[in-house]
Amino acid sequence: MTLDALSTVLVSGIVLASVYALIASGLSLVWTTLGIFNFAHGALMTLAAYLAWTVSDAAGLGLWLGAGIAIAVAGVVAAGVLIERLIVRPFYDHRDILLITVMTTLAAMIFIEKGSQLIWGARLKQLRPVVPGQVNFLGTTISAQEALIIALAPLLLGLLFLFLRNSRIGRGIRAVGQNPNAAKLIGIDVSRLFIITFALSAALAGLTGILLGSVRMVTPAFGAEPLVKALIIVIFGGLGSLGGTIVAAYLLGLLEAFLIFFIGIYWAPSMIFVLLILILLVRPQGLLGKVVR
Amino acid sequence: MPVKLDARSLGLAALVVVGLLVPFVVQDTYVRHLFIMAFIYAVVASSWDLSLGYAGIFNFGHVAFFGIGVYATGLTAKLLGLDPWLAMMFGGVAASAAAVLVALPVVRLQGVYVVLVTFAFSQLVLQVVISQSAVTGGTQGLIRVPTIELFGYNFLRDFKFGYYYVAFGMMVVAVACLRWLARSDFGLSIMAMRDNEDYAASRGIPIALQRLKVLVFSAFFAGLAGGFFVVYLRVASPEVFSFSTTSLILSMVLVGGTSTIYGPVIAALVLTFVSEGLANFEGLAEGRFILVAVAMIVVLVFLPKGLASALPKRWGQRAAE
Repeated sequence: MTLDALSTVLVSGIVLASVYALIASGLSLVWTTLGIFNFAHGALMTLAAYLAWTVSDAAGLGLWLGAGIAIAVAGVVAAGVLIERLIVRPFYDHRDILLITVMTTLAAMIFIEKGSQLIWGARLKQLRPVVPGQVNFLGTTISAQEALIIALAPLLLGLLFLFLRNSRIGRGIRAVGQNPNAAKLIGIDVSRLFIITFALSAALAGLTGILLGSVRMVTPAFGAEPLVKALIIVIFGGLGSLGGTIVAAYLLGLLEAFLIFFIGIYWAPSMIFVLLILILLVRPQGLLGKVVR
Repeated sequence: MPVKLDARSLGLAALVVVGLLVPFVVQDTYVRHLFIMAFIYAVVASSWDLSLGYAGIFNFGHVAFFGIGVYATGLTAKLLGLDPWLAMMFGGVAASAAAVLVALPVVRLQGVYVVLVTFAFSQLVLQVVISQSAVTGGTQGLIRVPTIELFGYNFLRDFKFGYYYVAFGMMVVAVACLRWLARSDFGLSIMAMRDNEDYAASRGIPIALQRLKVLVFSAFFAGLAGGFFVVYLRVASPEVFSFSTTSLILSMVLVGGTSTIYGPVIAALVLTFVSEGLANFEGLAEGRFILVAVAMIVVLVFLPKGLASALPKRWGQRAAE
């Protein structure tokens, strides 16, 4: 493996990893706080990309890209809150909340995906990049947009960490995640925090969708593949810790890039899955996970 | 289990007779086609009910078993020249074999991890099918699959008269087997495992083994249905593995009511006709999936035991039996 090839593989791995980290951390946040798994998370990415496209593309309203991003993020945050209100909230006291919300959020995913297809059609769309041009990174030329993703992912995740650790709301979210009843007892407004958590997670999904929407083509199924990857990451990392999820995301992104290089783009997903089964046979709580729940 | 000739068995027998008479009344090829598709979905949905409803395994890869049946049957019949009847059986066996593979991690996992692994599994199978396009046709799909024949009888020129009976027969046999399994000692043990795993284990039920068996049995029927699906349509696409297919079948299980076997069958009939009916309107081809999604949510929020629980009480009790 030449140095050039190594650099290419590394860089593409880091791009993948950054996207995965952003998506998976949103999923993980909802999981640690509410104990549910939001399958509509990938669809929220799709929705954000389409909204941003509609507002900013010449074929749409043709406004400034910044307006598109703002409206798109606001739109998915609203969608995230609606999901929490309409299809998660009714089951908080239910014994099988996990199983039921998997089904309801799956339905929400289909709803958004097919709804996007009705509204925007099946034709490929692409967002304008936030930053145009190309950049040299570790000896490999990538688009400036990809470089932006590489830089933004740690920044956003770092902010999320700081927010969860230091702010009043962030500490509340962690408290609810550890013990909702005790949190309620000491006067934390659990219901409000659930909504904030969903809104935060949706905003993360939306931003990722917008960033990725100018690298890849936006289709109604745009969010499905990243969701599946995020799914694998949370298994690898073990749900329940944001740190574990992020480490797993970067590991998986790099691993995937190397597998694609060595065994081809077609066999890489299968290999990853086989690895996953092997890991779960030895460590049912995930590679980095602790035994929880 | 001795067959009792009470009102209930008579009612079921009457339904089977009605089912047998349908093709004589319904001459329209398209309506017969809808019945055939509904029977296929009914087998997939009711077999899913065994693992999801009775055993309480959070198995979301059931549609992958269906898809494995589709491709195993289609490929062996087309490429190896296996007799399509045998290929259909092979579809069921292949799905069961895949279930063993899935069961390796799944029997030891809990809760959300089961959901994640089974979902990831169905995506894996999809990836393999797409990547091996030289064999499977990739995203273009599998075409020109040979179809069944019986003593020289040509299934292609009778306006789907023969296919109807094959599909109906498959459904009746599958539902009878599933219902028998669910009410046997085996069925009791898996329900005990679902309701209180620790207690079930302490009474000597081997949890991992029962889970493995449930997955293998339910996968077999899904695979068999997949086999018939491809032999009947003679084409298949990776679409069978999609989230849309999963949600369509899942909505049948939920609307019909879990842990009933019959419920998903009835829901499969109703939903197939409703959603296919909608597909005929301009622009509603995608809209029907939206309808399915809304139906799922409405049922889960308002009628968690399925539509049967909305019926008058006496009916509801029967449906829940």
